[in-house]
Amino acid sequence: MQLQNSSYKPSEVLSPIDLGSQTTETSPVEAIQQWLVSQLAKQLSLDPNNIKVQEPLTRYGLDSIDAVTLVGELEDWLELELPSTLLWDYPTIEKAATFLVQEFDVAAALNNVNIETATTAPQEKAEKSSGWGGLWNRISGS
Amino acid sequence: MHPLKQYWVAEALEQDLGDPCNPDSLMSFQQVVELDEQEEFPTDLLNWLYNWKLNHYYIPTACGGEFTSFEEFVAFVRVMSRRDLTTAISFTTLFWSYLVWMAGTDEQKQRLASFIKDHNGAMCLAYSERAHGSDLVASDVQATKVAGGYLLNGEKWPINRATISGVTFVLAKTDESGGARSLSLFMVEKSQLDPNTYYNLPKILTHGIRGSDMSGIGFQDCFVPESSRIGAEGAGLEWALKGFQITRALCAAFSQGAADTALRTTLNFALGRKLYGKTVFDMPQPRRTLVDAFLDILICDCATIGAARGFHVIPEQFSVWSAVVKYFVTTTLESMVTNVSVVLGARYYMRDAHDWGIFQKVVRDNAIISVFDGSTVVNLHALLLQLRQLAKQRSRQKGRNLEALQARLAACFSLDQSVPTFDGRKLELFSRGADDVLQGLALALTQLQSLETDPDLDSDVLQQIGGFTHLLLEELSALDQSLENSTFEFGHDQSPELFDLAKHYCTLHAAASCVHMWLHNRHHLGAFFAKGEWLALCLRRLALSFRPAHSLASRINDEAIAQELLQLHMEDKLFSIVPFQLATSKVQGDQTNATSELQLQA
Repeated sequence: MQLQNSSYKPSEVLSPIDLGSQTTETSPVEAIQQWLVSQLAKQLSLDPNNIKVQEPLTRYGLDSIDAVTLVGELEDWLELELPSTLLWDYPTIEKAATFLVQEFDVAAALNNVNIETATTAPQEKAEKSSGWGGLWNRISGS
Repeated sequence: MHPLKQYWVAEALEQDLGDPCNPDSLMSFQQVVELDEQEEFPTDLLNWLYNWKLNHYYIPTACGGEFTSFEEFVAFVRVMSRRDLTTAISFTTLFWSYLVWMAGTDEQKQRLASFIKDHNGAMCLAYSERAHGSDLVASDVQATKVAGGYLLNGEKWPINRATISGVTFVLAKTDESGGARSLSLFMVEKSQLDPNTYYNLPKILTHGIRGSDMSGIGFQDCFVPESSRIGAEGAGLEWALKGFQITRALCAAFSQGAADTALRTTLNFALGRKLYGKTVFDMPQPRRTLVDAFLDILICDCATIGAARGFHVIPEQFSVWSAVVKYFVTTTLESMVTNVSVVLGARYYMRDAHDWGIFQKVVRDNAIISVFDGSTVVNLHALLLQLRQLAKQRSRQKGRNLEALQARLAACFSLDQSVPTFDGRKLELFSRGADDVLQGLALALTQLQSLETDPDLDSDVLQQIGGFTHLLLEELSALDQSLENSTFEFGHDQSPELFDLAKHYCTLHAAASCVHMWLHNRHHLGAFFAKGEWLALCLRRLALSFRPAHSLASRINDEAIAQELLQLHMEDKLFSIVPFQLATSKVQGDQTNATSELQLQA
């Protein structure tokens, strides 16, 4: 896999549904960027097309503690142990993805993971716009 | 002396302070209520503690002090807190020193250790600001880089000991563009400052801990040398959050000291007061209330002591453990104090009647514990962000690495084992889904099953313990399943239902702590502990928060708990799973008890 992201603009081409078909072509940097864009879109209720990889994540309403939790999600996906302050030190999607590819064996990690988990469209959206969506409609006795 | 060495410092401090119901004792109820009425800072009491060299127990042995164990720390903070939270909270501001022990340079450590030991130095934590509350990143206090150091500008408020302290740990913005790396932490030594460049804000009048130096500090182009910065520039938030993991969990010790006094003074009343031809304690309703209060203390004890030891064993899980303990213990014991106030009746509200009015002071003072160092909401929020990962990790780890898990649980909960040296550098901003207490629940159930043949155990009691533990596991599985299937969004508009879910998690964690504590200490904490009736009743009590009473096994006879409570009260022992000896209370005039047999120092 190659780094080929100099002219790559996920904000123009990405939508969570498109991603599945692109996975075989994407570079590690792109794959990580796509994953972060789709997570951010899903977990902040944003249109992925409006997320720019060069913008600081805080711009989208991700606060410092959320950023730590997002690293946890990233670890889960890549099955790698990452610095918990990753997104503090590399506060844009572009910087974080580049750092990861430079410092970790991301290519191997990506081969091991189910790329689908990164790129599936957000689960069916529950009625609620915040919190854990329809969780409370599915369980009783809260 | 108590067989467990980690309780010797607390016992010795107790003996030297004497019976708080004796007005001639140091830190007697009469004295601390008077100080509170006058809203006076307890200078003499703090000096006495410094002379006793209690401050040495805040400095790790590697830095020239006496600190080796958080379990020991919790025990002596309970001793101070059962007498006076104003003094205890003021004295334990020394605990901010942990920022330096964790992140400071050798030179900073040396300077601070000398400040604490040789100069009876006090410190404060200047994080919060009038306009920003818990939102630390929004800090308006700036640290602007200049040659050789920084210029501080802005105000911190409200700050405990802001005026009296000699060292102020200031969180300030070093990068105006904002974000998680925009803050740096400074150990500001007032003796090195130009006095014209900083000022203190007036004392704040508060609901409780009235004598506290609750005030604020402001800076105007105040130069601090580069050597005062703790850790790297931009590392401020990281160290602030890690420092909170320590202090939040240990805040529980204040609540436990306060709860002990609330229950003890209520018992003083309930045992002496006769109505309808019997004592209040002999009437079923007040007796049940008092027994339940004792159970609450025992539950919180298991969570607090387990966590205090856990710091040494699994610091990397403390973003979860500290949030659980800070939320659960402080709010549970606040409710407990309210519950027993009913038994005390009108006297709970009187400022000069019944044991010098100590109860109403406890109610007022104790109310701040769940608020400071991160409020209930802050702690639950920190936890709910991690719940999905906790659920995922539990499912992933199911049945794996059981031996290692078992070994860590034994190290956390077996009070007869010594703990490894605490290493603050192992604290992590999130726990990567690990929480051994709940991860180990299935393991605990297996251990319980193996006890079925133990002839020393009552089969009904064991059956209840097993049944309730099974119920916990069921609840945990249901929780995990809901979490795994759910979607999630970041942000600060989390639904109230999510906060309820985090509370539920805390209850399960506390309940599991009780089970682990019993399993690992059945052979060395005495007959009452070993029989486990208390555990069956504690688990049932906790289960009532998520299941209706009629669906649960009925309550076993609690007479043994009532008798233990009476016994501990009569013998002046702490209401605890580790009921170490308190200073003995005798009728006034019997001064023999003022002589300590347990002097630690010359």
